[in-house]
Amino acid sequence: MSSSKDILSPKLIKDSGALHPINHMKDSIMNLLVSFGFEIVDGPEIETEEFNFDMLNIKKSHPARQMHDTFYVENKSNLLRTHTSPVQIRGMLERKPPIAFISGGKVYRKDDDATHLPMFHQVEGIYVDENVNFAQLKDLIYKIIYSLFGEDVQLRFRPSYFPFTEPSAEVDILSKEGKWLEILGCGLVNPVVLENCNIDSSKYSGLAFGLGIERIAMLKHGVTDIREFYKSNLDFLSQFK
Amino acid sequence: MKIAYSHLVQHIAENPSIEDISDNLFQLGHEHEIDGNIFDMEFTPNRGDCLSINGLLRDLAVFYTIDLNQDMYTEKLDELLIDFENLSESTCPQISFLKLEIDQVPEIYKDSLDSYFLDLGLNKNNFFTDVSNYLSYETGQPTHCYDANTMSGKLVFHEIEKNEVFETLLDKKITLTSKNSVFSLNNKVINLAGVVGGKSTSCSANTKTVLIECAFFQPEAIIGKSIKYDIQSEASHKFERGVDPECHDGVLRRFINIVSNHTNIKDMYIISYKSKDSPITQIPVNVSKINQIIGINISEKEYLSYLSKLDFVIEEGFIKVPSFRSDVKTQNDLAEEVARVIGYDNIATSNITIPSNEKSNHRDIENKLRYFLLDHGFYEVINSPFVSLSSEEAIKVDNPLDSNREFLRTNITNSLVDNLLFNERRQKDSIKLFEISDIYSSKNALLKKRKLSIIASGRVGLNYEEFSKKINKKYLTTLFQKILSNEVFDFKVLSRDSLDTKIKNEIISLEVDIDMFSNDILSYKEISKPPEKFNQYSRISDLPSSIKDISYSIKDYSKTQDLQDLLLNYKSDLIKNIYIFDYFKNEKEEEIKIGFRFIFQSKKMTLKSAEIELVYNDIVRQSLEISGISIPGM
Repeated sequence: MSSSKDILSPKLIKDSGALHPINHMKDSIMNLLVSFGFEIVDGPEIETEEFNFDMLNIKKSHPARQMHDTFYVENKSNLLRTHTSPVQIRGMLERKPPIAFISGGKVYRKDDDATHLPMFHQVEGIYVDENVNFAQLKDLIYKIIYSLFGEDVQLRFRPSYFPFTEPSAEVDILSKEGKWLEILGCGLVNPVVLENCNIDSSKYSGLAFGLGIERIAMLKHGVTDIREFYKSNLDFLSQFK
Repeated sequence: MKIAYSHLVQHIAENPSIEDISDNLFQLGHEHEIDGNIFDMEFTPNRGDCLSINGLLRDLAVFYTIDLNQDMYTEKLDELLIDFENLSESTCPQISFLKLEIDQVPEIYKDSLDSYFLDLGLNKNNFFTDVSNYLSYETGQPTHCYDANTMSGKLVFHEIEKNEVFETLLDKKITLTSKNSVFSLNNKVINLAGVVGGKSTSCSANTKTVLIECAFFQPEAIIGKSIKYDIQSEASHKFERGVDPECHDGVLRRFINIVSNHTNIKDMYIISYKSKDSPITQIPVNVSKINQIIGINISEKEYLSYLSKLDFVIEEGFIKVPSFRSDVKTQNDLAEEVARVIGYDNIATSNITIPSNEKSNHRDIENKLRYFLLDHGFYEVINSPFVSLSSEEAIKVDNPLDSNREFLRTNITNSLVDNLLFNERRQKDSIKLFEISDIYSSKNALLKKRKLSIIASGRVGLNYEEFSKKINKKYLTTLFQKILSNEVFDFKVLSRDSLDTKIKNEIISLEVDIDMFSNDILSYKEISKPPEKFNQYSRISDLPSSIKDISYSIKDYSKTQDLQDLLLNYKSDLIKNIYIFDYFKNEKEEEIKIGFRFIFQSKKMTLKSAEIELVYNDIVRQSLEISGISIPGM
């Protein structure tokens, strides 16, 4: 029981709560990208095959479209989005170039082990304008990585493959232990995707990038088991104030 | 895919080190790890053409002088007479059969066939299957070997849609369901095309007459079959990613060459079926477009020299894409080829400025709510949407991970109840959680709502003012009315009757649509700030904790701060948390009473009483060394 106020009373420490570390990481990245000039756009988590796959040039034969990789709902009429890229389609359909927006949120894939979960988070960005090129994409990625990991970090670009970008790249950073760690995927928007969104690909080009939030949060916080994020353990959550 | 360094380097004139090849493979986009002298390759799904020694060497030709030096049979071959019908030419537009009869089955392997098994540590099977497997490794084209003596009758390639039991050459019985591309002999399935052959027609150690099938299957017909039937199949991995439709003659002639290097061939016949020519992709030469895409400035000569090294043919202003590169169709694809050859890391950056957008008011209300809750001790959680319980409005997952995750949740509260019980079981006595999430339901149409849900139970706070106050409806209603006086919130007391717990504290919950909050919340001035740095996680303990309380009587008021300084900064690996749970100043008795709570928990072991007592006694000893302080009853 406390008495009336007195000057000797101990400092009253009222415990504040904490943002979830994944949401905090997502917010940090999105705020950074907003500071670069990107607008934030949202999209639904339950998507159609058209927006999640077809419009993104992911063909019917692509492994991602199989039942073992994608959660389908309501007799295959819809699916749980496997990436935040369908928001890029929706955003491009609603806008005219120049376009620069980001989207972030939950995505779902049929995976469940120490390094993969059926639900995880992504942030993606897209910029469409005249004469957007790969050298500019590299510049943007350097700015993002340097802001997140400091300008001392060593990074490398590797050719990769995403049906919705061409050329495509994955970006690795060198860990303190000397191991290359994959951080993000990026590329120039495939002209097919631009055309699918009624954007004249002979006039406009675009760049796109996407980051897995859990992976970056694990690196930044030193969490080794992704499942820790989703146990809702107060001893865990209270460490991220 | 595992590829031996020695199998690559024997074809490279410059004799590069494994590290040198590794660096160049990374530059080309071929991720891998090195285990001894073996590259463990992970190719992107568009580069099925690289799933072989020859495929990888074709790409490495941009850095090195490559000499494949692989002999093949060059003489004319007699036509094979075979009773074969292709009823699905759209799925299999090209197929060849080679029939060989040998004198003797060789016991010892030579040259590249021998080193394939030796260097990669592979188990041998039977001669013809071993040659087939090696050729798939060397050329990227899977072939299938039937024991020719089991193949009398009519052979048909077709797509079937009927249930049929099929025994694979790996002794596994599978029931074919839905649509499958198969080879049937006399109306019985003998081969799941592009995936695995059947036991009834497979080769054995005694096979001397073999029928070798070499086909191109459309990837769409093969994809997903090996997972569906749980079959490990390197052939299907290759067909799914696309093989070279024009390689059959070369592969089968190489087959003959390897067999003839090991034994005498008595007879050989070949036949090829081609329903249509493979499409040839031609792209106009346009170096300025390539420079524009990449952001570089190379000459046309340099550009074309890069493509020539990758086997692209330049003819009359067009670039002819080789038959094994089905992934290259556009100028952007060619730009990627050029960028790979230059090296992504060697392309200079070019400053980018994104045209600024107006400030977004994205989720301002939601963010204000989050910080309001943080200020009052609430922790944000994120839960999986998958649940076992169905409700009338729940959306069903067609292919759930398991029966416990068959539906999408229609509320957040149930997840928070689970979170609450989880933390109560870990002896937490003040729990305040919230989650904001999209919630989907379906009655007649898909309905999406963005919701806030909160749950709270136990002590209001872990400090001397709030320790003895319990969270109830009034507490939370008052809290919300402070900032949202015009809004009514329907806090609920949840029953513990159906919950697996003996704790009696009231559980208060609220679940509301974010849309119902007015802009009033925007005037709230939050105290909490986002963390300034990303804290390093310290491993948490799941071992039980113990509580020790010590109440002090202080007559010399000036010593109050000394006691706090000592105890709140007391360090022990066994103590997880210390706080003041009681404070009372009795003016009449000229005495301050102050209570400290110590939570003991180890990360390594369940603590024994004696271990706790040792630390406890040290705390008591040190605190009583401060004059004017006593512990009543001690």
